[in-house]
Amino acid sequence: MRRRKRMLKELDEDIREHIARETQDNIERGMSAEDARHAAMRKFGNVTQVMEETREVWSVVWLNQLLADIRFGLRMLRKNPGFTAVAVLTLALGIGANAAVFSVVYGVLLRPLPYKDPSSLIVLNETTPMVGTVSVSYPNFLDWRNQSHTFSEMAAVRGVGFNLAGVTQPENISGSAVSPNFLSMLGVRPFLGRDFDASEEKAGTPPVILLSYSLWQSHFGGDPNIVGRTIKLDDRSFTIVGVLPSNYRSLDKTDVMLPIGVWATDNPEDVKERGARGDLGVIGRLATGVSLTKARAEMEGIAARLAREYPASNDRFGVALQPVRDAFVSDIRPAILVLFGAVMFVLLIACANVANLFLVRGASRTKEVALRIALGASRGRIISQMLTESFVLAVLGGVLGLVLAVAGIGGMSRLIPADMLSGATVNLNGAVLLFAACVVALASLIFGLAPALHSTKPDVQSELKEGGRGSSAGAGQNQLRAALATAEISLALILLVGAGLMMKSLYRLLAVDPGFRPERVLTMGMDLRTQQYSKDPAVLNFWQQVLDKVRALPGVEAAAVGTVIPLTDSHSRSDVTIEEMALPTPGNYPHPDVHIVSPGYITTLGIPLLRGRTFTDADDEKAPLVGMINAVTARRFFPKEDPVGKRFMFGHPSAKNAPKWCTIVGVVSDTKLYGLANPARLEVYVPLRQNAASEMTLLVKSGADPAALTSAIREAVQSIDKDQPLFAISTMKELVSNSVATRRMTLVLLGLFSGLALVLGGIGIYGVISYSVAQRTHEIGIRIALGAPRRDVFRLVVGQGLKLAGIGIAIGIAGALGLARLMSSLLYGISATDFETFAGVSILLALVALLACFIPAQRAMRVDPTVALRHE
Amino acid sequence: MSTKEERERIELLQGTLDLLILRTLLRGPVHGHAIAKAIEFNSDEVLQVEQGSLYPALHRLIKRGWISVEEGTSENNRRAKFYKLTPKGRIQLTVETRRWDKLAGAIARILRPRKQEGES
Repeated sequence: MRRRKRMLKELDEDIREHIARETQDNIERGMSAEDARHAAMRKFGNVTQVMEETREVWSVVWLNQLLADIRFGLRMLRKNPGFTAVAVLTLALGIGANAAVFSVVYGVLLRPLPYKDPSSLIVLNETTPMVGTVSVSYPNFLDWRNQSHTFSEMAAVRGVGFNLAGVTQPENISGSAVSPNFLSMLGVRPFLGRDFDASEEKAGTPPVILLSYSLWQSHFGGDPNIVGRTIKLDDRSFTIVGVLPSNYRSLDKTDVMLPIGVWATDNPEDVKERGARGDLGVIGRLATGVSLTKARAEMEGIAARLAREYPASNDRFGVALQPVRDAFVSDIRPAILVLFGAVMFVLLIACANVANLFLVRGASRTKEVALRIALGASRGRIISQMLTESFVLAVLGGVLGLVLAVAGIGGMSRLIPADMLSGATVNLNGAVLLFAACVVALASLIFGLAPALHSTKPDVQSELKEGGRGSSAGAGQNQLRAALATAEISLALILLVGAGLMMKSLYRLLAVDPGFRPERVLTMGMDLRTQQYSKDPAVLNFWQQVLDKVRALPGVEAAAVGTVIPLTDSHSRSDVTIEEMALPTPGNYPHPDVHIVSPGYITTLGIPLLRGRTFTDADDEKAPLVGMINAVTARRFFPKEDPVGKRFMFGHPSAKNAPKWCTIVGVVSDTKLYGLANPARLEVYVPLRQNAASEMTLLVKSGADPAALTSAIREAVQSIDKDQPLFAISTMKELVSNSVATRRMTLVLLGLFSGLALVLGGIGIYGVISYSVAQRTHEIGIRIALGAPRRDVFRLVVGQGLKLAGIGIAIGIAGALGLARLMSSLLYGISATDFETFAGVSILLALVALLACFIPAQRAMRVDPTVALRHE
Repeated sequence: MSTKEERERIELLQGTLDLLILRTLLRGPVHGHAIAKAIEFNSDEVLQVEQGSLYPALHRLIKRGWISVEEGTSENNRRAKFYKLTPKGRIQLTVETRRWDKLAGAIARILRPRKQEGES
């Protein structure tokens, strides 16, 4: 840079000197001083222009060249609007799909979580071989925190629901009761007000609360003086001490946050009871320099010690550690990665197609290139110019692709189940734009390099000698084009196999008998939280009134309430003891899901009764305790005898409390509580009147569209208690559908991408074959003139296409055999090497290839020998 | 420029000016005006350099490190910049000269084909 300045500063001096010398020479030749000067000036040329050009020498050369190349590229693209349109559109589809899927990859998997040093935050859970990962009991959390050294901090988060009796409609909101150090450990500071204080961990702390940013906005209009005001939840007043920041993200929905001391005050049993594993999660921050492995080893030691110390509650319970990112990502990661791989393939296919287009066009430009090389242009210079042209094309494709991506992102975020996103925002942001830019650059290299290298091959002389023949392209070029088409077919096959496997899985999954009839059933949650429901009779009375009123509504066929409905996240499990069975060790008790249900529950849900009877209104508080079990439970514990009449009790028998035996009165069919893909587990049902529960789901079976009943039911409920919210309203059909949402999203997108791949691959083959027919018109004409039947010509052309397709399919099958395994976690009921899918997809591709060859083959068949031979 | 000049003088091909400058400097350091005169003189005045175009070319060669520049006084005691071939430029001159010979030969063969052609 300094050299540049110096060189340019003396330039005008130099030029003046130069002209002076020339003038002097002219004077010596006998010119007048005036003429001599003019002649010198004329001979020198335009001084300003010379200065400009010299300055340019020192400016960044490549930039100028690039600009010139870009201008040239744009000119070339304008000259071939058809080529440009097809290429840009192809690339736009590839790049757009990539940008859209990447926006999900970034939003869900890559965007930094809004915490301080999120990589050292670990989610801890308890584990039991009976269920897998479960919540943590509060006493265990306290021991973990006290005994571990690998964590610098630990905090508990307990989910709490509240009823918020608002101005218009009562609603149920989600709260998190947290250890006071929770926010500071995450590195989150309240947007307004204060964080919790260490003193607020113990029971007896006054009810204070932090509002989420959105609740503050929606219910308090963003009032800046909110701190110190109160909010009425259930029927208690909470003092608002602050507002959470707008970007706060948590694993579970958080409308309000309160210190765990408030929860401890309300739930003294849960605080003490080591076996009470409610909705409590633990997050810890690893101490500096501690690895996850080391922390896991230490925590497993602590858990094992606690299991020995408290076998009654902790036998066989372990601990699971998971980076907080994994906890957020949940099960959607494999689906996202499969889709990301799929769009990459689509992009590669698009690139191969565009490269093919370039090669065809390159063929007509070989002479231009050859001449330029002969005239001394360096090969590198020409390649860089051709790459610039590709780049310009890719940029155009990228811009159009981003437009498509915006639409695609909208569609995708509707397809992805909201709870799978756990608060991740999927949008077009800087990271996506950067990614798109990289894709554009990479794509232009992929589809530009091969044609550029090819058409600048240093056999200049042969090109020049090939003389007049207009469409000549060497054998090498045809090979390259055939290879590209083959690659497209292989990639398309892999994608189609993926889509085919997903389709078959989803089909199999939806064909699974869920164990209940989801048709025309509406579900809505209710949680009786106010003081008036503190006594069981009030609770039972409320449910009875609701059922009476709802059953009386027109169009209602049946109604019932139950605690744990299938295919939702809420579960309630308990150890049970079966009478007359050898007592297992504490960790080996049967641990079924427990349904507390009103009479009519299994009828409303359409669960078949296999044996015995279902509950009736007679199974009330005064009647003997009864229960029902599902088929799995019956098979496991009563393989040879009739379970009806046998007895079980909840919990472990102990001397302290007399056993409360429930008599089994019926056996019902299994339900797919944990998802259609998961095997049925042990279930027991007990009647509501003998086990009052304040949080239940109302199930209504209607004669027609169940959703139409929503407002009538809401009115019925509010006529009993105007402040009682109904929440989680959805039809049973929707619950079934949501339970396969991730798979459906994967299928829809994979189907879309593979369809695109199929079309592009077909176009690829069509391009290669029709170009080769055009090239061989002359040869075909001779064949026909010599008497070859036109049928043979047709066969020749189709054969050429099918050979490409065949090779592509073979390679694709090999690739798919390797790659499909990666998506096996998304499959259900079939193996990743499912023969039918592979065969079907191969046939489909072969048919598409046949179709793609058909038009050029017909053209070949119709070649008129006289015209063809004059074709020169 | 007069019509006579236009008829007899040939415009330089792109890139060849560099070669000519390098060749001129082979005889020792000279200043800009002298380079222009030398090219004209040595080509029997057929090649006409628009003298201004010399300067971008000189600067280009300096940037590539093929020539260097130093201050000096000219024969009539005037301060001037002297351009000098660097060792790198010397090598480049032989490369460029060889390439030129090849191209000129190739073009000549195309323009006036002899009986046996095409041995490359």
